[in-house]
Amino acid sequence: MRRSVLIGGQAGQGVAKAAEVLGKILVRLGYYVFNYRDYPSLIRGGHNFNVVTFSRQRVFSHDERNYEVIVALDQRTVETHRDEASDKTAFIVPSSVKAPNTMSIDVASAFKQGIPPIAMNVILLGALARYLGVPKQVAKSVVKRELKGDFNLKAFEYGYENGENGKRKVGKVPKKGLYFLTGNEAIGLGAIASGIDMYIAYPMTPATPVLHFLAAHKDKYNYTVLQMENEIAVINAALGASYAGAMTMVGTSGGGFALMAEAMSLQGMSEVPLVVYLAQRTGPSTGVPTYTAQADLLFALHVGHGEFPRVVVAPGDPAEAFRYTIEAFYLAYRYRVLSIILGDKHLGESHFTMEEGEFTPTVKPERFLVFPEGDYKSYEITDDGVSPRSVPGAISSPVRATSYEHDEYGITTEEPEMITKMMEKRLRKADTLEEAVLELEPLTVYGDPAAERVIVSWGSTKGAILDALAKLPDWKFVKINYLKPFPRSLFLNEVEEAKRVVIVETSSTGQIGKVISMETGFITEDKVLRYDARPFTPEYILRRLRW
Amino acid sequence: MVKIDPKTLNTYAENTWCPGCGNFGILTAAKNAIARLVEEGYPLNKFTLVSGIGCHAKIYDYLNINGFYSIHGRVLPTAIGIKLSNPDLIVIGFGGDGDTYAEGTAHFIHAARYNADITMVVHNNQVFALTTGQATPTSERGYRGKSTPDGKWDEPMNPILLALTAGATFVARAYAYDVKRLTDIIVEAVKHRGFSFVDVIQPCVTFHNVAPYVKERMYYLDEAGHDPSDFEAALRRAREWNYNLDPDAKIPMGIFYKVEKQTMEEGYDRKVPYYRVERNVDWRKVIAEKRVV
Repeated sequence: MRRSVLIGGQAGQGVAKAAEVLGKILVRLGYYVFNYRDYPSLIRGGHNFNVVTFSRQRVFSHDERNYEVIVALDQRTVETHRDEASDKTAFIVPSSVKAPNTMSIDVASAFKQGIPPIAMNVILLGALARYLGVPKQVAKSVVKRELKGDFNLKAFEYGYENGENGKRKVGKVPKKGLYFLTGNEAIGLGAIASGIDMYIAYPMTPATPVLHFLAAHKDKYNYTVLQMENEIAVINAALGASYAGAMTMVGTSGGGFALMAEAMSLQGMSEVPLVVYLAQRTGPSTGVPTYTAQADLLFALHVGHGEFPRVVVAPGDPAEAFRYTIEAFYLAYRYRVLSIILGDKHLGESHFTMEEGEFTPTVKPERFLVFPEGDYKSYEITDDGVSPRSVPGAISSPVRATSYEHDEYGITTEEPEMITKMMEKRLRKADTLEEAVLELEPLTVYGDPAAERVIVSWGSTKGAILDALAKLPDWKFVKINYLKPFPRSLFLNEVEEAKRVVIVETSSTGQIGKVISMETGFITEDKVLRYDARPFTPEYILRRLRW
Repeated sequence: MVKIDPKTLNTYAENTWCPGCGNFGILTAAKNAIARLVEEGYPLNKFTLVSGIGCHAKIYDYLNINGFYSIHGRVLPTAIGIKLSNPDLIVIGFGGDGDTYAEGTAHFIHAARYNADITMVVHNNQVFALTTGQATPTSERGYRGKSTPDGKWDEPMNPILLALTAGATFVARAYAYDVKRLTDIIVEAVKHRGFSFVDVIQPCVTFHNVAPYVKERMYYLDEAGHDPSDFEAALRRAREWNYNLDPDAKIPMGIFYKVEKQTMEEGYDRKVPYYRVERNVDWRKVIAEKRVV
């Protein structure tokens, strides 16, 4: 049974934090929790809300209506979400806010008792915990850990004592090995687990949380976090750092990624390993900066002038974000390629509950360096197209990287024979890379493998699709994990016998359909798309599939 | 003491600069400077050059040391990335004036501010030569090129003044045809701990031959009693030539300013080359911080 609570208020009132703490409390009680965060681009005021959806079964998505509880820190929350409430929805509000089915908390008295107004979110969280029947000690221990300051504990206590019991107590089921984290945190942790040396970035929503997360962890793991003057500096510094031997990653969103485009092509020619995190948001241009989209798929696949191999991998949840970040590092450094981790705001900023075994990596990233004594060729022509990599200063011979077409030593050439050899070396590397990716899991099938109705998607739609699939017994879900190299035959095997193949994508054109037809020749025009800057919910998908 | 013949720094690449190009002076001075520094104990295999795109960038092919042939305008961020990745490397950037003062202006200003211990040598021929003669930010007012047939109407940028105000800790100007002094200045620039900037006036024999103009008007700051620790004096000297070709200008050469400040590597506490760091991170311990039960 899936249950949802909405917590809303102004930016600055601590809505997101209250929702995160609630999520952690529920995970402590053995629940699976998904926490969706919705906020406009402003710092104070406006309207922010979170939806915390929880269940005794796995849950990977939120709801858009029929909340069990709406916690409204301000009147606007009530007005904005009134239509999404059912007659059973309970409203928990401070005394100043008017709403139907109200449990009103006298926050003014709390403030008189010395609880600061900033802690109103925690007072209402206390009342919510009481309403849901959360054991007080469990809740308090989480609050104590997550929220600094004694006043928060007092605020929680006040809300709990002045709240009322609801009808359905959540209870506790002992569980072990549950993790609660966002996609962005998982990408940061994946980078750390990969042995990152340098993370270089310029702030841009929704990639910024990775910058913050890695900056907060840098002393523990002894790596460098560098913010530079713009994204062009960021990616060129990253290539310099990687050339000199550092395991390097950059992170940005669409606009910054566009600025980096020229240097991605430099990666292709120089073969200096690089990992790029692209956190998509709604475009075009500034678009809707704090909301989600999957509309940069074709951009990521084609960024950079000229032809060169690359990896584009798209995680659908934090466990995948952790594993695929590790794979992105492995592939970039093993094969001297550009690895793009294609995420978005929905994956990056939502909290998911993951299980122990889901994080286990399949590969171990290394620097993959050679230290030859004598002669060294930076671009040695090899059968598999991969030239053994060394770093400057580590050997007596010069180590070169270049944007120009070159011979095996990295010296410039404009001769047709050498140009052809080097082009073909990079083409062979693309083949080698494709074989390596086939050894991983470039595509995953969920549901009945023999089903004749197929949903095809990638990335952050995974959660809503999996939760919808529970109500679609005669469907399967083919999730494409590696968009490049594309798993052509694996994909065709899944759709050739199908009666219906539907694309699900957070875009207005269904770009994955174009990618599939380009890579495999398979064409489907059956699409469920969403482009109001909001992520899919299971209900939305079910409604649109039954059209 | 290691002694090397500058000729051993040659590569097999065919030199394609125009005969008489000022770039030959810079290449010779770079080789001499590296040879001298190696004699003084700087390890040859730590020298790492970064070039941009343009005539100057061919120096990558002509110097047999580590090198990154970067893209137009991006020498400085590339060089900074290299230095932070491996602080043991002796990083020398070579850029053009279009490269450094047009495409890469933001990087130039911020590199001066960051003060990474790198050297930036700008081959300033006051023209886009490899694209056949368009005006750059340092072309003089009135310069006629194919893109400015009526003469460039805007005033030139003064990179010396810009570097000083942006916080560069070593600011110098040199002349490409005075190889001896240019060699000395490059040696000084490399030895300086911090961001060293050398604007090299490099006559372009094909599109912008200022050799007669410069030769008549240049003088050396050290011979004129300039104190390179005096910032205000450096600003005054920098204003003596605004890069226009005015008949009565005086062109100071040599070190305008030199000061010690915290470097970028110190700011980020970078000591050990990252490629030597063995991490062996246990992924289980890393992910454990997000475990709730």
